[in-house]
Amino acid sequence: MNTAEVIEDHIPDQAEQLDARADDAIPLREVIAMAEKVTSALKPLVRSLDKSMYRELKEMLDCIEELRGDLSKVDPDDIFSRRIPEMGRELGAIVSATEVATNSIMTIAEQVVDADKSDPQAYAKFVEQHMMAIFEACGFQDLTGQRVTRVIQTVEVIEERIGVLCRMIENNQIIPNAAKVSETEKRNRTRLVKGPAKEGEGIDQDAVDAMF
Amino acid sequence: MQLDRNMRILIVDDYATMLRILRNLLKQLGFENVHEASDGKAALRQFETNTYDLVISDWNMEPMTGFELLRAVRANPETAQTKFIMITAESATENVIAAKRAGVNNYIIKPFTSEILLGKIEAVFQQQVA
Repeated sequence: MNTAEVIEDHIPDQAEQLDARADDAIPLREVIAMAEKVTSALKPLVRSLDKSMYRELKEMLDCIEELRGDLSKVDPDDIFSRRIPEMGRELGAIVSATEVATNSIMTIAEQVVDADKSDPQAYAKFVEQHMMAIFEACGFQDLTGQRVTRVIQTVEVIEERIGVLCRMIENNQIIPNAAKVSETEKRNRTRLVKGPAKEGEGIDQDAVDAMF
Repeated sequence: MQLDRNMRILIVDDYATMLRILRNLLKQLGFENVHEASDGKAALRQFETNTYDLVISDWNMEPMTGFELLRAVRANPETAQTKFIMITAESATENVIAAKRAGVNNYIIKPFTSEILLGKIEAVFQQQVA
């Protein structure tokens, strides 16, 4: 119910009287009496407005609380200051470990290839010793495997948190920006750089050979 | 057809380990005249003062890719006839087609064996005879 309706419902007589006396001076006490009537007639409206405003404010507050709760689950500080740098360090360590191992194995292979083969017994002993060093160097796989597992775990945590964000976006709680493409991604697209294909994707050497 | 084992080969890769692997494989295959460059730009600089019979290049390198190197080599009349093999993990059909259109002589997908490497080098120089 709006103000006009309230006045129409509650004080029609007074309104008509005022209309009829439009040319006369109206005493102050009558104006005050009229104002009191209008004020008391508006009270139910003000009360109903209070209730609906309170309800809407309460809903907004609940939404903000929910959003805060969801955002705390995303915990961007933890992702950007701890998890992603940690993942970068793990991946860097994997690259270093594989590089060190590959170089060790290759050095051994080079030494075996270049070794003096004139004395078969000495050569066999030399090769045997060097094979042991290759076995040792292959130990990198265990460590890199563990590091990869940790990276996967971190990716899973980030995936879970992105899931929370996606649900918030689906609920229209956040308006997403258009997906941004980094400069590197743009450059790689024009340079046809995609990296190694996943299992089952890309073409194999036989298919390439057929094209030549 | 007898391959010239003394041909000048330029191997291009931004991974020092891969350069080392390639060098060793080529050495085992009897090719000793092998030179190295760490990316497309470095390779082009070497072309300024040297000639090569064969370039074996990776695709994904910074700042200049193997694909860009291939186009630059083909665009220069002095180097346009140089044989060019791409060795890469880029196995999308569009990459192979783009490389072929740009004039690559052969294309090897990583990981590869020494047998495949030799086979492609032979194929490239047999194309010349044919």
